[in-house]
Amino acid sequence: MSDSRQPLLKVRDLTVTFGPRRRRLSAVAGVSFEIYEGETLGLVGESGCGKSTTGRALMRIVEPSGGSVELDGVEVTSLKGAALRRLRTRMQMIFQDPISSLNPRRRVRDIVAEPLDCWQSAKGEDRRRVVDELLHQVGIDPDLYGERFARQFSGGQCQRISIARSLAMKPKLLICDEMVSALDVSVQAQILNLLEDLKAQYGLTLLFIAHDLAVVKNVSDRVAVMYLGKICEIGPSDTLYESPEHPYTSFLLGAALEADPDSPAHREVLSGEPPSPLNPPSGCRFRTRCPLAQDRCTSEEPALREVGDGHRVACHFPLSLERR
Amino acid sequence: MSSAFAVSELLESPAATPERKRRLGLLFWICVGWLSLNVLAAIFANVLPLDNPLQQNYSAINVGPSLHHLFGTDDLGRDIFSRVVFGSRVSIEVGLGAMAIGFGVGAPLGMLAAYRRGTLDTVLSLFMYVFLAFPAIIATIAVLSFWTPRSLFKIVIVVGVASVPLVFRVIRASTMNVATREFVVAAKVQGATDRRILVKELLPNVAPIGVSFLLIGVATVITLEGSLAFLGLSVSPPTPSWGNMINESRTILQTNPWLAIFPSAAMCLFLLCLNFIGDRLRSHFDVSDVKL
Amino acid sequence: MSDSSPLLEVTDLCTTFTTPTGPVAAVSGVSFTLNHDETLGIVGESGSGKTVLSRTVMGLQPRRNVVVTGSSRLNGVELVGASEAEKRRVWGLEVAMIFQDPMTSLNPVMRIGKQIDEILRVRRGLSRSAARDRAIELLELVGIPSPTQRYREYPGALSGGMRQRVVIAAALAGSPQLLMADEPTTGLDVTIQAQILNLLDDLRARLRMSVVLVTHDLGVVATRTSRLVVMYAGRVVEVGSTRDLFARHRMPYTRALLEGSPRLSNPAHTRLVTIPGRPPNLAQLPAGCSFAPRCAYATAQCHVERPELQPADGLGHYFACWNPLPTPTGVS
Repeated sequence: MSDSRQPLLKVRDLTVTFGPRRRRLSAVAGVSFEIYEGETLGLVGESGCGKSTTGRALMRIVEPSGGSVELDGVEVTSLKGAALRRLRTRMQMIFQDPISSLNPRRRVRDIVAEPLDCWQSAKGEDRRRVVDELLHQVGIDPDLYGERFARQFSGGQCQRISIARSLAMKPKLLICDEMVSALDVSVQAQILNLLEDLKAQYGLTLLFIAHDLAVVKNVSDRVAVMYLGKICEIGPSDTLYESPEHPYTSFLLGAALEADPDSPAHREVLSGEPPSPLNPPSGCRFRTRCPLAQDRCTSEEPALREVGDGHRVACHFPLSLERR
Repeated sequence: MSSAFAVSELLESPAATPERKRRLGLLFWICVGWLSLNVLAAIFANVLPLDNPLQQNYSAINVGPSLHHLFGTDDLGRDIFSRVVFGSRVSIEVGLGAMAIGFGVGAPLGMLAAYRRGTLDTVLSLFMYVFLAFPAIIATIAVLSFWTPRSLFKIVIVVGVASVPLVFRVIRASTMNVATREFVVAAKVQGATDRRILVKELLPNVAPIGVSFLLIGVATVITLEGSLAFLGLSVSPPTPSWGNMINESRTILQTNPWLAIFPSAAMCLFLLCLNFIGDRLRSHFDVSDVKL
Repeated sequence: MSDSSPLLEVTDLCTTFTTPTGPVAAVSGVSFTLNHDETLGIVGESGSGKTVLSRTVMGLQPRRNVVVTGSSRLNGVELVGASEAEKRRVWGLEVAMIFQDPMTSLNPVMRIGKQIDEILRVRRGLSRSAARDRAIELLELVGIPSPTQRYREYPGALSGGMRQRVVIAAALAGSPQLLMADEPTTGLDVTIQAQILNLLDDLRARLRMSVVLVTHDLGVVATRTSRLVVMYAGRVVEVGSTRDLFARHRMPYTRALLEGSPRLSNPAHTRLVTIPGRPPNLAQLPAGCSFAPRCAYATAQCHVERPELQPADGLGHYFACWNPLPTPTGVS
């Protein structure tokens, strides 16, 4: 169904490398995906898998070292100066640390109005009206809290203010980088529901980056799983969670802790730790921890291939073959 | 409102921590009062009912404090009180003037270097470190010895330039602290220009540290002026400055200790107040302190 | 050892911090027992007092600005108000603690083997070579590959998961009967988290220890504890067997915790059950039930009168609520 629509964001072979030539670290090593208009793509993976770097590279906060990113047909990676700044009105980002992403010395209204001031799109009465409406929508009373400083708010409230700020220019794409992982359970649920409401209201397209599988499933239409700088599986969330094709996805799901005493306590747990991205394994990057690895996995790197409707996996021996 | 959250939920619980009014303390305000008094006296010295500080009076040489001469007179019969007040002009002018140059050049460069990083930062930092490697006081003395005739203006310039690398270092370090925070990245992705980020995001966070360092810097420069005067390298006599007066008192310390005591006390109090205010302001504006 | 008396008995424990703005009760009136060979979970959000509780139970608290009342008896030995010498006899040998950030409990400039050695030699009186052998044994026990080489490494050279394993090995050095684990896996990746939790479970069974698992994550405790204590604003609001608490919780806050976190088994875009507001400020607690301002079932009584713990159907199941949720019927 998704193929009939035009992708809003098209990422091809995105790579990001850090460091000098000798110790070059490829945080993102050739990632390709699309995000269709109006959908939410979840991006999951463990720390160091490059999911946050991918989000930051899309925003051009870190410079991609290769590949192409197209937003609505406009190539993002080659934009410079004013055109790059223009891009920011169409693409926004919410960060993990709610407290640190707001300037402690500015007032809430000024923080939310920052994009408006940058683009001079609203002034005076108009500016205030727009800001107050945004604050209202995220559940912060502008009359009571509008003139407070950002440092006086709790994490959940800061995240609401961040959301209001990111929506000020009515962007098309919103990148959420671990936006609820620093919050308490009860506050996390509020923010996730709020995000869903605003997504519908603003017609947003979301890239939702997180390490928590349950949170990602809750908000996403499709999910991409990353391991060591590469996407190993991507597909509709319900399919991917029910019948994962990549062994890594399956282990990741098995390791996730369900708040349910009846879930099996000791499932098979992935042994070992991810190898260093400075020196990734040859062939399939997961082979060093994969119980199904064979010789072919060492010599040949698996490409993403279609295994179902919109379900692609980068594995020589996807699990459905095993099941058959 | 389509959002599932009523505003009331925020009203029910004490949502935002109320702005806690933190007091600066009585001593702080006493210091501010004393400094203001000094500065006002220096500005309006001409219209105040003071004796002419250059007027010699041989009928009252080296007299102690009295109602007529509040602080007494010096070996030329000049009124010490009046000379202390006029002398503060030099100290304050040198202090503020030199720091104006130091901050005017050092602070923007420091902020820019910390924000931009890269080559600009490397080159600027290297330059400043080389500059710092010269012993500042000796360099200052050398320049002032050769650049004659000495004037207040020249002293301000030399001391100001010497302070640039120090200011650069302090401002660069504190900007660096802030520039790595997420909200700077956030501002960038809003589409803010570099100049806007420097002024709106970084400056308010660096300014409190800057101001307290400025006050302490003024105090340091005033001491430096005193040292220069002691070496006879400050403004030429008979123009009074605190340093000059202390220098003049050297030879007649036995007969007239007042000539040393009053300018020293004036300078000491002034510096103490500056340092105290600077320190107090720094801890007052420390945001991390506010969060319990 | 006799299993008749509990290993740990906490009675009416209160920890009050004196701050410039007045007393802050981080823990008030907490009582629970821990039996031999049992895993108890303490669950709560930030500011619920769970961390302060776990430290107070061990007699670990700052010397100044804090008032502790009540009692915490480990094997009959009172830890509240005990002298430093008395506590030192217990710490490490009868009870050990592991913290959330393994880096803070390891000395970054000391080889990891040395750090375990120290404990063995000082606390257990082992000789240098015996301590070394035992330390390598412990490293192997906690699943560190090639322990002989790792023994000589510094904590900085290890990943977060490996560091936590080293911390666990160090905690086991004194052969404690009780292991206090304060958010032992928070901040670790899911696959590593599962490894560490399985390891703890495994060690508990093998070494016949008891474990107190302090966490904010219900997923961590769901399958690994036999009993749960739910804390809110410094008080126990519900306590009972893990199964009872998940299936037949009576306190609305417990439900909010359970249903507020997204589940893997739910389809995408499931609307989450939320409670408004956020955890209260301990310095300004409401007069009645601390949860009342956020509770959908709160009545006038809840706002003025604090509910005490009262028994529910299940064995050892207690809850503190004036308007408890009905017990679901048909649940066995």
